[in-house]
Amino acid sequence: MSDLLQRIKEAVMAGEEEDTRKLVEEGLESGLEPRKILEEAMVPAMEDIGDRFSRNEAFIPELIVAAAAMQEGMEVLKPRLSGEAKGRGLVVLGTVYGDIHSIGKNLVRMCMEGAGFEVVDIGEDLKTERFVEAYQEHRPAILGLSALLSSTMQRMKEVIEAVRAVDPSALIMVGGAPVTQQFAEEIGASGYAPNAFEAAVKAKELLL
Amino acid sequence: MTGKERMLEAFALREPDRVPVWEMAFNEESIIKLGAFFTDDLPPMKFAQQMTTEEKIKLLSTLFTAARELELDGITSIAILATEPVDDDHVKDGWGRIMRVSEEGEATPVAGPVSTPGDLKGLKIYHPQQSELLMLMAAKGNFGDEIAQVMVQPGPFRESWMLLGSMEKLLYYYVKDRRFVHGLARVATDFILEVTDMSADLGADIIALDGDLAFSQTTLMSPGQYEEFILPYHKEITERAHSRGMLILKHSDGNMWPIMDGIVEAGFDGFHPVQPQCMDIGEVKARYGDRLCMLGNIDCTYLLPFGSEGEVEETVKKTIATAAPGGGYIISSSNSIHPGCKPENYVAMVKAAHKYGNYPISIEV
Repeated sequence: MSDLLQRIKEAVMAGEEEDTRKLVEEGLESGLEPRKILEEAMVPAMEDIGDRFSRNEAFIPELIVAAAAMQEGMEVLKPRLSGEAKGRGLVVLGTVYGDIHSIGKNLVRMCMEGAGFEVVDIGEDLKTERFVEAYQEHRPAILGLSALLSSTMQRMKEVIEAVRAVDPSALIMVGGAPVTQQFAEEIGASGYAPNAFEAAVKAKELLL
Repeated sequence: MTGKERMLEAFALREPDRVPVWEMAFNEESIIKLGAFFTDDLPPMKFAQQMTTEEKIKLLSTLFTAARELELDGITSIAILATEPVDDDHVKDGWGRIMRVSEEGEATPVAGPVSTPGDLKGLKIYHPQQSELLMLMAAKGNFGDEIAQVMVQPGPFRESWMLLGSMEKLLYYYVKDRRFVHGLARVATDFILEVTDMSADLGADIIALDGDLAFSQTTLMSPGQYEEFILPYHKEITERAHSRGMLILKHSDGNMWPIMDGIVEAGFDGFHPVQPQCMDIGEVKARYGDRLCMLGNIDCTYLLPFGSEGEVEETVKKTIATAAPGGGYIISSSNSIHPGCKPENYVAMVKAAHKYGNYPISIEV
């Protein structure tokens, strides 16, 4: 890895937003391919944070600042990425009706973006119709549903059925504190992950 | 023994006559559905924020009726901060925090009066009003010293992020601006100490410090960040509660293992709710049962919402067998009786606790 790619990776991992922006600009000026910066510096930086997270060496604050640095770098990079290199695919994320909690969904957004997905976050407390509308509008590679309460997670089944009525092959992932693998299987979800990093890993697997 | 004596004995890590039964929170819908077991005189089904004063009083009276009929050993009160409506879904409190009202639980802040470190200096400090502790006054007036009076208030972590309107923002500043995090915690802690003093004046026996510090996998912050940003303020609050003759417990959902030593060091007397998906109550008791009273552990994620009454009874029996011998255990759900819990399952939980919770515990599982 070039010294500059290494420095971009370190800046993202340290959550240094300004440094990340400057280094990405420097990289582009020096002729580095935008795709190379994304795939060889920024995505691996988030993967490293994910590994540290799974070993309890990094916690949510470190994830949040790294994601902020990644976002800063992406602002510079995005206009320069060609269509096919724009990422792994589009993910639409939202929290189901009755549930106004956002942190779990937001962490998944950060990790998905960190893994190279483009993410459209449609918000919280969304009626089933809103998910169907968003699915039809964006035709995402993956639709992600979040719920923090055992009462609201029941809505996930309703959303899955409604979205599958318009596209039987829709890939739909579910997650949130009360959700389990067993529950995900019972309601017909395509995938489940117990935390935000694993959600990004699972999303990559689903698209293989 | 009275309910209060039973609770205090459990907190003293001794065996009372039976395992105390208590609950940290019930939502409006849960209170009304539970109340329907015992009375026809119920308030309309809506959020407390949308109720008239008369309807709020009826809601409280329904809660008290259910607590009395179910022979609960403690009653929980919250400070109901005065709010003004912003629109159909949002209210604003005295700090200027905009809260979104939800069908499924408490109002959640979506915007705070502080956005950046520069805003802290100009923050208008809000002081709690005694009228905002009306629920505690009513509970004390209704039950006196018959059962334990528990006052819930957000801890410094939750109060801090509520001032910012977002937990993510606070955690971002854990790395980016430590001084700002301490500044927020100072403001938050001073407010908590004021409420703690007022609660003592009004006769509270126990403070329950709310605000999750963990999620299913681990803590939200590292143990080092807990020690730096939260522990000193927890210490101040537990010292104040103790100096005013009260006990204090820490509530947090999730896997709290990484900071359990800190919870003990902070001076808490109890730990709630020992979420069964994340922490084994037998193991927590084995490691901390000589220093902390355990509260909770009856699953409100799957068991109380979807289980049968028989399954609830079986779980209560097993949990008592594991956690109650030797004292230091108070039974409750693993968070609260939220609208998803079947009311008949909660009644089954309380009945089972009374059936199997008599000391000395002699349950064969």
